[in-house]
Amino acid sequence: MPDSSSSPSSTCTSPMAPGSAPAGPIDPRYSRIDLGDITQHNIKLLKKVNAVVFPVVYHAKFYTDVLEAGELAKLAFYNDIVVGAVCCRIDIEPATGLRKLYIMTLGCLAPYRRLGIGTAMLKHVMDYVERDGQFDGVFLHVQINNESAIQFYRKFGFDIVGTKEQYYSRIEPADAHVLEKRLTSQATTGGTPHPPPLVNGNNPKDDPDSHKTNNGHEREH
Amino acid sequence: MPSPHSANTATGSSLPPKENAQFKRILKCYEQKQYKNGLKFAKQILTNPKFAEHGETLAMKGLTLNCLGRKDEAYDYVRRGLRNDLKSHVCWHVYGLLQRSDKKYDEAIKCYRNALKWDKENIQILRDLSLLQIQMRDLEGYKETRYQLFQLRPTQRASWIGFAMSYHLLNDYDMTLKILEEFRKTQQKAAYDYEHSELLLYQNMVIQESGDISGALEHLMKYEPQICDQAHFLTTKGSLLLKLDRAGEAKAIFEELIQRNPENHESYKFLEQASGADTPAKKLAIYVKYRGFYPKAQAPQRLPLNYAEGQEFRDLVEPYLKKALRKGVPPLFVDLKPLYKNPDNCAILEEICTTYLKHMRANGTFDGKTREPPTALLWLLYYLSQHYDYKSDYATALQLIDEAIAHTPTLIELFLHKGKIYKHIDNREEAAYWMDEAQVMDRADRYINCKSAKYLLRANQVKEAEEMCKWFTRGGVPAMESLNEMQCMWFQTECAGAFERLGKYGEALKKCIEVDRHFTEIIEDQFDFHTYCMRKLTLRSYVDLLRLEDVLRSHPFYEKAAFCAIRVYLRLFDKPITDDDKLNEIDTENMDPSELKKLRNKQKKAKRKAELEAQEMQQLQARKELHNKSQKKNDDELDAPQKDELYPDKLERPEDPLGEALKFLEPLQLLAADRLSTHVLAFEIYFRKRKPLLMLQSIKRALNTPNTPPNDPQLHSCVIRFQKFVDENRQSFPAPVSQVLDRETQSIFADKSAVQRNRDFLSANDQSLNHVAVGAEMSVVLDGSEASQKAALKLIGELERFKTGVDIKTCSDIFHKLEEGVYGSVGVAGLDGFRQSCAQQFPLTILFNPELKKQSKTTTTSADPNEPKSGDNSSHEVPDSEP
Repeated sequence: MPDSSSSPSSTCTSPMAPGSAPAGPIDPRYSRIDLGDITQHNIKLLKKVNAVVFPVVYHAKFYTDVLEAGELAKLAFYNDIVVGAVCCRIDIEPATGLRKLYIMTLGCLAPYRRLGIGTAMLKHVMDYVERDGQFDGVFLHVQINNESAIQFYRKFGFDIVGTKEQYYSRIEPADAHVLEKRLTSQATTGGTPHPPPLVNGNNPKDDPDSHKTNNGHEREH
Repeated sequence: MPSPHSANTATGSSLPPKENAQFKRILKCYEQKQYKNGLKFAKQILTNPKFAEHGETLAMKGLTLNCLGRKDEAYDYVRRGLRNDLKSHVCWHVYGLLQRSDKKYDEAIKCYRNALKWDKENIQILRDLSLLQIQMRDLEGYKETRYQLFQLRPTQRASWIGFAMSYHLLNDYDMTLKILEEFRKTQQKAAYDYEHSELLLYQNMVIQESGDISGALEHLMKYEPQICDQAHFLTTKGSLLLKLDRAGEAKAIFEELIQRNPENHESYKFLEQASGADTPAKKLAIYVKYRGFYPKAQAPQRLPLNYAEGQEFRDLVEPYLKKALRKGVPPLFVDLKPLYKNPDNCAILEEICTTYLKHMRANGTFDGKTREPPTALLWLLYYLSQHYDYKSDYATALQLIDEAIAHTPTLIELFLHKGKIYKHIDNREEAAYWMDEAQVMDRADRYINCKSAKYLLRANQVKEAEEMCKWFTRGGVPAMESLNEMQCMWFQTECAGAFERLGKYGEALKKCIEVDRHFTEIIEDQFDFHTYCMRKLTLRSYVDLLRLEDVLRSHPFYEKAAFCAIRVYLRLFDKPITDDDKLNEIDTENMDPSELKKLRNKQKKAKRKAELEAQEMQQLQARKELHNKSQKKNDDELDAPQKDELYPDKLERPEDPLGEALKFLEPLQLLAADRLSTHVLAFEIYFRKRKPLLMLQSIKRALNTPNTPPNDPQLHSCVIRFQKFVDENRQSFPAPVSQVLDRETQSIFADKSAVQRNRDFLSANDQSLNHVAVGAEMSVVLDGSEASQKAALKLIGELERFKTGVDIKTCSDIFHKLEEGVYGSVGVAGLDGFRQSCAQQFPLTILFNPELKKQSKTTTTSADPNEPKSGDNSSHEVPDSEP
């Protein structure tokens, strides 16, 4: 699948599992969740996860950036097997100058949902943000019909702060909600879409083309 | 390198004081590796016309030059020095050292002996001599030299030890023990003295080897407080008690050992013995007990599986499986594989696992009770896939592994196993593709990297394999060279195999010879241990080392390389390589112009590429030389003689291929005499050499190898061809040869003609494809007529009727033999028919189903290993996971 040239956006699946209710809890001795670093040796595993979880091919740039991202990009291990990943970046809103953490991807392989892996990853991100103390908010994009994902993020204090029409180019519905958890009292931008497209990286004066050649990515469902 | 003099005062005696002082400085410079300065002093003496021909100085100059890598000059000077002073022990010693550095040990021993004639009690020379003698296993000579050293230096520890050991190696236990005991008495014991402990354990080892078991036990108990290696002490004590039928006491010892380490399988085996557990039931009882004692230990869970059967096996294996699947134990199948020897176990395991699978798929439990982690399903699929792979049910194995990959595409083991399944299907390129998939998922994992390289070699992709190895070899040097330097023999033997299959016989031989050289090198490396182990008193290990080196070439790596080399030499004897082979045989006359143009373009491109490669090689060569030079500079002590460079072009045109083959065979005849293939290959060589008595010898030895049934197909092939040879050439044999042959072949040929014997062989083994294929081949050898060829082809064509031997390997071997014309022109014509009947049996194997080739995944197209493969982008359907 060719890369879409849509604006940079986040892709987060629901870490919730589908299907019937579990027959009971899994013995915690056999259900270990850890987060680990992404290195040049195992980056292929991140690609595998993304390829299965998101209907999007991420560009090479996405992966080279991830290698530099430190705590902002993590693999999730379940019983020592890579089953999920979270990748974030720091964004400065050009209009307001607000410093926010943007969750680019957060996802987990289907058989491993509803086991607390998404929670572990999101918790890691929120802990990072709290330790840093300089963030105005954390936000992401979710496809509008993805109820379980929206519910999941609501549990952590996220709210729908806007909706972007035609955010996704090849999947239906193409609209995405913007979910945000505000950490400081910021000037509300209201329920309308965010003004200008977000630019990758800290510097809004980056090469204006960068977001085109960048990781355009979309949401499933 | 040892110095040629030491405690001796006679050196340079013919020189006046000033020159004598200079001479001593040469020696000193030599010892301190200041070779340039040494040469300076030598020059000072030699420029004085009075001493221009001073023998010892000339010899020392030569020895110094040798250390600077100027070997030819070194020999000139040393020989000249010796001629001028034949009565100087220094000159002889120097000559010996020079020969030694050149690995001419026999010559060196002679020189040392000459030196000792002129200076009988020179310790240094005696020591050097003893080292060479033990290296060359001149055990009698070693004993004498050690005796002299002992007499000259009775106060030194090494004198005693060496003296004792020289008797031990000659199996004179009494004398060894007497010397050791005398020596032990002189020893002062420190509180914790590991060396002394080692000495005692060595002494105990000698007592055991002498056969005096109770003496050994007594000795062990007497010195117990001084022995540091407690685990070894207990194991030895226990096994000695067992040998002395004191099982009750032995039992207590092994119970203690298990308490020390409840995972040591050996201790349990001993405990079984000591408890007199001779039936499965008694053995099981022991493990039930120990499972209670050590609930967390793995060994008492696993070991009873070896003895249990039926329902009992099922009851034991179920919790074992559940635990492993829950926990995620990747080698679970490897762990349980030995149990598959019993087909009942195989059926039970299959039934249990398929039931689990049904439940896991339905509700995430093994048996409807507790919920298991999703990884349990994954490991279960992985296990079952291996199970079906083991049973040669490749379609099911693939289906299960694909399900596992769809479940969790991030588990590397799954891809490894998928590659392995394709290896078993004999689709080598596809196997290499999946191994590469695994490899890119964890570049830091050397095991997978090596596997991947090996699979590439199996697919004959030598270049790609070398590239793969580059991830872990030293930079700056071509990987191939680096691998040789590191004695990476699995790579080299696999590489030889790939070259052999590719028909690059010279390259294959080069790899085989490199492996052979490693073995020579390992034997050379022993040299350092003679002094080291004696000094460190690690005598048990030292004796083990000496014994290992004695049979070093029985190692599978040598066997593999030797077999490959012999096969290649046989091939080169049968079909020598002529220079025309290299010429392009494309018929250009019958091509239409556009094709011709394409061809020319192709050739041009190839030529350009070849030129580029040659340039690259040149640069590499230059860099290498530079590297070597700088190394030479740094490494003044260049004592390894430069090996002859191996040129594949030359190697594949040997003057005497059978003679070369024999060189590889001889160590095997000596050290791998219990293996059938050794003698079969020997037969192949002698058959071509037309040596009836040696053929007979090989056949007789083959018949005597253990576990070789008299109807072994390989052996049958040898006997039939031998009989045919004897029948046809009887007239030309000298009378004594004929007599021996008549007498000795009587039992082998059993008064039957070759044709009759082959017929009998075929009818007696008509259920086995392996046997029938060889029998059919022999019937063509005996009767090459078209009718006979047709009959042979018919015999092997109906695969359905065989009960054994119908596997991918046998069938592909037969396929290739048909192709080569082993079954005559009828066989070649019948190739496609045979392929089709194989295709029915093995629908996944590309060799039999060439139409599969298009769908298969191969690595050949991937240029950059960093770039994702086409397979990556194919899996982007939206997963149907959300409600």
